[in-house]
Amino acid sequence: MTEQQVPETLSIAEHEPGRPRAGMWKRMRQAQAVMLPLAAIAALVAYFTAVNPLFLSVDNALNIGRQSSVLLLVALAETIVILIGSIDLSVGSIVTLVGIIGASAANRFGWLAGAVVGIWIGAMVGLVNGALLTRLKVPSFLVTLGMLSILSGVANQISQGESILLESPVLSNLVNRAVLAGVPNVIWIALVVTGLLTVVAFRTRFGRYLFALGGGEIVAANAGVPITAYKLAAFVASGTICGLAGVVLTGQVGAGTPTAGGGLLLDSIAAVVMGGTALSGGIGGPHRTLLGVLVIALLGNGMDVTEVNNFTQDMVKGAVIILAVSLTIDREKYAFIK
Amino acid sequence: MTEAESVEAVAAGSALELRSVSKTYGATRALIDVSLTIPRNRVVGLVGENGAGKSTLISVINGVVLPDSGSIWINGASVRFGHPSESALHGVATVFQEQGLIPTIPVFENIFLGRERKFLRGGLLQRGRLIAEARAVLRDLEIDIEPAVLTGSLSFGQRQLVEIAKAFALSRIYPVEPIILLDEPTSALSDREIAKLFDGVARWRGKASFLFVSHRLTEVLSLCDEIVAMKDAQAIAQLPVAGIDESDLHELIVGRQRDAQYYKEDRQAPPAETVLVRANVSKVGALHDVSLTIRTGEILGIAGVLGSGKSVLARILAGSEAPDRGSVEIDGHALARHTRREAIRHGVGYVPAERLVAGVIGSHSVEWNLTLPNLGMLERTLLRLISVAGSRALTRHWVERLRIRTPGPATACGALSGGNQQKVVFAKWLAYGVRVLVLDDPGRGLDVGAKGSIYALMRDLSHDGAAILLVSDNLPELIGMSHRIVVLRDGRISARFDAPPQGKPRETDVVRAMV
Repeated sequence: MTEQQVPETLSIAEHEPGRPRAGMWKRMRQAQAVMLPLAAIAALVAYFTAVNPLFLSVDNALNIGRQSSVLLLVALAETIVILIGSIDLSVGSIVTLVGIIGASAANRFGWLAGAVVGIWIGAMVGLVNGALLTRLKVPSFLVTLGMLSILSGVANQISQGESILLESPVLSNLVNRAVLAGVPNVIWIALVVTGLLTVVAFRTRFGRYLFALGGGEIVAANAGVPITAYKLAAFVASGTICGLAGVVLTGQVGAGTPTAGGGLLLDSIAAVVMGGTALSGGIGGPHRTLLGVLVIALLGNGMDVTEVNNFTQDMVKGAVIILAVSLTIDREKYAFIK
Repeated sequence: MTEAESVEAVAAGSALELRSVSKTYGATRALIDVSLTIPRNRVVGLVGENGAGKSTLISVINGVVLPDSGSIWINGASVRFGHPSESALHGVATVFQEQGLIPTIPVFENIFLGRERKFLRGGLLQRGRLIAEARAVLRDLEIDIEPAVLTGSLSFGQRQLVEIAKAFALSRIYPVEPIILLDEPTSALSDREIAKLFDGVARWRGKASFLFVSHRLTEVLSLCDEIVAMKDAQAIAQLPVAGIDESDLHELIVGRQRDAQYYKEDRQAPPAETVLVRANVSKVGALHDVSLTIRTGEILGIAGVLGSGKSVLARILAGSEAPDRGSVEIDGHALARHTRREAIRHGVGYVPAERLVAGVIGSHSVEWNLTLPNLGMLERTLLRLISVAGSRALTRHWVERLRIRTPGPATACGALSGGNQQKVVFAKWLAYGVRVLVLDDPGRGLDVGAKGSIYALMRDLSHDGAAILLVSDNLPELIGMSHRIVVLRDGRISARFDAPPQGKPRETDVVRAMV
């Protein structure tokens, strides 16, 4: 009963050109996962351009890039964790904490120290998340939910609810200036990380083991994959990238603020899932997340440009997320929907 | 069933009768023209090998599965069930191996789950009346369990008694007499609990009828009035228990013609002298001083019933479970740690029984599945990136070599047939270059043709010098394929057989050592 029969399967050696190949339907279903976000992007661009022609301009494109670079970084971090079938609810709070501590450190010891400390904090939070998950066997949902609360508390405690302004402009200049083709560095940073992670995901043992963990942990264990070590590594990688996102965001706004990471959690999970990475793990990838982030960014920017008020924006965004997920989710992977 | 017995059954009134019931799943015929009778207030035993069709039969009776043809009669009336709740209205209750009780609610709620309507007043449940009623049911059955305790706090045996009480509770709500299907009820019970259960069945049979499924033939003989034997999806006999002994039952449920051709017995070559695997292991509650060797080019078969320890033995040899005592040596080197990683490093491949849970990742491609343990050898350049060309070439090589029928290397494994999925599992280990293979029920769920090609592959590997441990529930397969057979019973080796092509042991002899 667990067997799925596909009619007319042929071995590679025997395959004759011209004959209909089996699995076509399956492949189309897989292609659908990429096509849907692309179609959504096209539809959004067409609609918003029709309402306000300024939407489709180089300036606005750079705007969208600037607005979504940090979200892209955070969503990439989330992708890694979702690929192994876990979830990280602490991503936004890591960004906040890194902003507060990173800005303080930058003001005392220089921008480089601030950046290094920020990224290091991200990595350490990831390590703790991963350790709690693998050692105490607490589900990632609960570990990171607790961590979200703890980190927000720490950030507020340290900052006393106030923003910490960067005294030196070096970090801000590094992030906001454009060294290449007039495109702000922050966009390049996010794109380079996307590219690197995509290569890591598909061309390295680490990446492939992440997919295997999410696709079938028992199969992976039987193939000799050290499960615990790789789960831990996934959370550390995710935390590190969140740390980077925190540093970049601090540079972008010129300050660490206690509310910086607030909206990032929901947007990042929405972007990952809309891109086509399954919440059950094992399917998708960082390149897909780029598409998901674009959908969210275009939607937000487009509504700004067409002067939709903020409360309506929230409602529309929520509806789009539910619709998108209902179209892309692979129900075969869920025994039941709870 | 003979004429005389049939007449007798009608005279006593039959609680349940199946007439020519058939069921087919795809290409697999699970039930072929099965007829059987449970006379009222009798205990009927159902015996047969794994895969003989017992589980499907139970599912047909309790309404989980709708038969393709044939009819079911309860107390002389024809019935048709589309859902277990409909069979329940006729008093049919199943006590499963994996239990069907909700552990987080009290016993009395489980007993009346889904049938609380009688206890409603003004939309509210009358908890007191429910408890009193449940207590009365339990007292009637002389089951000493407090109905208000949490179900999860009871022992496995006690929960089984609650399931039986649940069946009897039905007759307090509907005017029916229970027909209770006991599906391997003793496999997880202690001797004391088994005795208690059997005492109960003896007492309760005055007000219920039972179908009792068990691997343990002694239990069947001691508890039942009649026995139905199944083989290859057919009910081959229904006999009164008087005058039958265990060896008669063995003859009934096995004794199939083994086709030497099918198992390529002519290709069974004598193994080399060199010992490749040497193991001597114990595991509390599962294995006691099990000692064995496998030589180069040898297939060693492990026989045993469910719970004999044969799967634990397979997992220990594969490294995925650690023994409490003892060691596993591959080619003279003891495994330093009992992990899959270490075993793989020593060249041990593992083909687990549950293919889609433990063998392949259904949502991943043939290529990704096949290369999963082999990524290390595909890493190129300073950055240790996986070579796309190398990965593709490795996959193509093994897809062609094992004739895996797939549209391409990128096809998801879940879309392949079972036999081809199994070949992918073999391929990933052959690509790694293993010298030892642990096979846990490699033919499970495969059709005849697919099994045949797996057997041919095993012969090829054996010729190439692999040492193979074969664990299987399928006795003809085990006897046909193995050079030697070790039989496990309750975690101990109970017999060893040589199985050369010209002198294969008889199935009945092997079964005798198993039970």
